Amino acid sequence: MLIERAHIISNTEVAHNIWEMFLDAPGIISEYKGSGQFINILVEDSWNHPLRRPMSIASAKDGKVSIIYKIFGDVTRILSKKKSGNNIEVLGPLGNTFTNWNNDYYPILVGGGVGLPPILNLKSECEFSKIDHTIIIGARNSNEHFIAHDPENDIILTTDDGSSGESGTVMNPIDRVIKEKNRPYIFACGPEPMLVAIRDYSLKNNIPTQLSVESYMGCGVGLCQGCVISKNNTDKKENSYHEQYSLVCIDGPVYESKDIQFE
Amino acid sequence: MNQRIFNLSNLEVSIGNITFKNPIWVASGTFGYGTEAPDLIDVNKLGAIVTKSITREPREGNPPPRIVETPSGMINSIGLANIGVKKYIKEMLPVYEDLSTKIIMNIAGTDIHEYIEILELMENQSSSITGYEINISCPNVNKGGMEFGIDCDMTAKLTEELRSRTDRLIIMKLSPNVSDIVSIGKASQDSGADAVSAINTVVGMSINANTGKSNIFTTYGGLSGPAIKPIGLAAVNKLYKDLSIPIIGMGGIVSSTDVAEYILAGSTSVQVGTANFRNPGTGEDLIDMIDTYVAGSNWKSLVEMIGKVEIHN
Repeated sequence: MLIERAHIISNTEVAHNIWEMFLDAPGIISEYKGSGQFINILVEDSWNHPLRRPMSIASAKDGKVSIIYKIFGDVTRILSKKKSGNNIEVLGPLGNTFTNWNNDYYPILVGGGVGLPPILNLKSECEFSKIDHTIIIGARNSNEHFIAHDPENDIILTTDDGSSGESGTVMNPIDRVIKEKNRPYIFACGPEPMLVAIRDYSLKNNIPTQLSVESYMGCGVGLCQGCVISKNNTDKKENSYHEQYSLVCIDGPVYESKDIQFE
Repeated sequence: MNQRIFNLSNLEVSIGNITFKNPIWVASGTFGYGTEAPDLIDVNKLGAIVTKSITREPREGNPPPRIVETPSGMINSIGLANIGVKKYIKEMLPVYEDLSTKIIMNIAGTDIHEYIEILELMENQSSSITGYEINISCPNVNKGGMEFGIDCDMTAKLTEELRSRTDRLIIMKLSPNVSDIVSIGKASQDSGADAVSAINTVVGMSINANTGKSNIFTTYGGLSGPAIKPIGLAAVNKLYKDLSIPIIGMGGIVSSTDVAEYILAGSTSVQVGTANFRNPGTGEDLIDMIDTYVAGSNWKSLVEMIGKVEIHN
């Protein structure tokens, strides 16, 4: 873990209100362990917004890190105004990684909304390691998609309104792919309702599943104890000190679906 | 002048019979137990580490959401999540033997017996702990803590009971959420406290107008960060005018200028809190920066600056 002032290589809008930023961050890369990890970004040096913002790493190679973010409020709006050549202070890499994505299983990668970045990162890692997989990407409508629906190449898009890809949520294609493939393993990141649905499905059908969860973080390094999620597995002692809660920043953000519960 | 930057001796301050190598401490609840700081910082440079609040029994803390950013600040409602004093003694005290910074253990209780019991358990151990900061001002638990911090008689009684049981430093941590912080401070002083620290967080609320929901599970939480610095400075200065024991100032310290302001207001030492969440190395950075500040000023030492704010009348 280190703090690095990273040079912004590019910052572009890739879909409606969704931006992709590439950073020159050799320090972060030198300690990077894999998809699922995040960086904690200081969007401005003033203290108007005291806290850093955790952002999943969407890609990490050749000394460069990318993030994908949606404009939600003031901080992400400020981030979107940054230009190539500006720099920005990042803390990282933080958190754990997806595991067990290998040829013993058939990975089904599921990303919804702003939860897509670590899933795209995992897709790149699967491609690099020549592991067959399917990716399923959910969004509310076609404006939020920046990847083409390509079922023949195992890229499946869904939209709530049917404006691109399949109509409906990610649950239909997940169910279909699981029935087609041997030893499926779900890896998912997205809005909480999506993760709740996937968790329920995975437990009911006994499908191994890893979820990357989102949490409001104060520090990202385990000091503030703010980013808790309820644990299911009370006898498993991790970095957090408590039985009931786990700290998403240091124990997570990736959990086996059976180990956590949503409020 | 450059030589002085690397000579930290002029940063030493004393509280009770203890000399601290510098006045930059890290505040309770912002630095864990002092043992889990990220490896990117050197905790031994700090004047002291104040631990998170330790209670008699382990506490899970409050359900999420526990934290939200607010303009120039943040609200937290962690709910005193901690491992409890027995596990603290077993797991943390041995680790402190390897640290060269001073450890101040923060204690919280729901009644006077709990504070006493924790302190007695600690005093029965051999440990390198320098002293105790007594949390009588946590806004985030339903019961306890606060009821002492708003009542002079209860503050006096608690301070007296603890004083009679230890020779280590006793620092009473005062709440800004009272009508007269000075009277609570005086009650602490008159009952034997070595120092007071001020301020704990200010009760606050944050609402999401889009969802109509409170942004904190417990509805109200503790506001901290630069947003509360003026409240902290006023509290420290009022305490300084009426008390003779040292005051440890805190509330929104993020820069060496903030440290200087708190010292001019009357602080002998300061605690860095919220800034640790943005950069856990803030305290370490401020030690170098405050030395540079003193070296570039007309002051000979930090001690000379204490309480020397110029008042207009």
